[in-house]
Amino acid sequence: MALDRISLQAHAGEFLCIVGPSGSGKSTLLRVLAGLHRQSAGDVHIQADRPGTPLTAMVFQEHALLPWRTVRDNVTFGLENRGVGRAEREARAREMLAMVGLARFAQHYPHQLSGGMKQRVGIARALANDPEVLLMDEPLAALDAQTRTIMQEELLRIWATLGKTVVYVTHSLEEALLLGDRVVLLTARPGRVSQIYPVDLGRPRALEVRASPAYGALLEKIWSRLREEVVRAMEADRGVDPEAIGG
Amino acid sequence: MRAVGRWLGERWITIGSPLTVLVLWEWASATGLLRAVFFPRPSTIAGHLRDLAMDGTLWGHVATTLVRIGWSFSLAAILGVAIGLAMGLWRRLREGLDPVFAVIYPIPSVLFLPLVSFLVPPGEIALVVTTAVTSFFLIAFTTTHGVRQIDRLVVEAARHYGARGWRLFAAVLLPGALPFIFTGLRLGLGFALIVVVAVEIVSASRGLGALLWLSWQVLKVEDMYATFFVIALLGALLSYGLAALRARLLPWVPDAGDR
Repeated sequence: MALDRISLQAHAGEFLCIVGPSGSGKSTLLRVLAGLHRQSAGDVHIQADRPGTPLTAMVFQEHALLPWRTVRDNVTFGLENRGVGRAEREARAREMLAMVGLARFAQHYPHQLSGGMKQRVGIARALANDPEVLLMDEPLAALDAQTRTIMQEELLRIWATLGKTVVYVTHSLEEALLLGDRVVLLTARPGRVSQIYPVDLGRPRALEVRASPAYGALLEKIWSRLREEVVRAMEADRGVDPEAIGG
Repeated sequence: MRAVGRWLGERWITIGSPLTVLVLWEWASATGLLRAVFFPRPSTIAGHLRDLAMDGTLWGHVATTLVRIGWSFSLAAILGVAIGLAMGLWRRLREGLDPVFAVIYPIPSVLFLPLVSFLVPPGEIALVVTTAVTSFFLIAFTTTHGVRQIDRLVVEAARHYGARGWRLFAAVLLPGALPFIFTGLRLGLGFALIVVVAVEIVSASRGLGALLWLSWQVLKVEDMYATFFVIALLGALLSYGLAALRARLLPWVPDAGDR
């Protein structure tokens, strides 16, 4: 069992971050929300005011673009499957590619792009579908540290522009505090909600927030709790005595 | 001019190595190091090749062989891709056919000629079907593998964005398998040429294989080598042609532009 008795509510327009040790079922939770994985029990409710648009759209960790489609055709893929007309699809793709800064790369193929650019396409593809909830599964985990920092700023900007509800899974507490309105901490497997922390660091937020004392205090507070879970997960995984891991 | 220079600069090994072989051969035959009865000088062979081409003998045989390859390859390609795709998509079918294919595939193709002759009219049709057998297996194998190797995450993402049924097949599974299908087609085309020549040696009076065998039997060694050369050239042209086609049709494959 990956998850156990999860009860969670995201507010409209909220940026909700989910952190937890490896194997706590963060990704499974997201896959349940996306309809990619059928939960054994329980329900997912998403309030939808606009018929015809999908409930969720996922940004995958390994981007998962279709290699045989150009950047533009990857972005329009979901719209195409829903029967949206060509003119509207292309207008939509132009808009989203401009938003993620890839307007000039519409006719490129994914293999011609860098990792960060591919993930921008993944984000544009999800946004083009105009979902009620945007799901992001460690979207920046595969990128190098510098690209990741740039992408975090980009995400803040895009979210501020569109005001989407986002559920964002990450293993980086720093990232969660930079991006999120609230941070949900999951326990080691089976994942349960351990604690939900509001991130009162103000908006709009930028990288400079990391220098503030409030940020440091919150990071310390959540980390001490997360650390326990990480150690517990390691112990469960390998049968290691937690006392033996320094600390 | 500079483009030509750069082209030569990049490919001098590719062009130079067969030339070196020819020059060495010419020299060895001329000096008597190789017996000219069995290894005539390449320049002599070239003369015979020209004669064969001028009096029209060659073109008839080339046309016959090409038509046979055309039929065999089409048959193998259509059935191989269709069955390969089906095997890639349905596990049950794959599990059922895999052992059958594993047993039949390694049998030397020419041995199918008598068997095929029992099933279809002997002669031209039996020859074409026999030639298709090995190519069919190669194309079916690579196509199956092509479907199987598609990144599951990409398929999952495509489903998540609403691709189902026919759309999933046409927009995701087929294009995902295409690079492998092309590899299979290229291998299959090469084998069609190999097998058609072998079958022609065994059982035909026309075609390049027949010409080769006839030349050998009446000890027209120069003609035999000339035919060798034509077969080799044909193989290279077909293979490179298909590779060029692939590069044009599959611009998304990173290495497609290499050749």
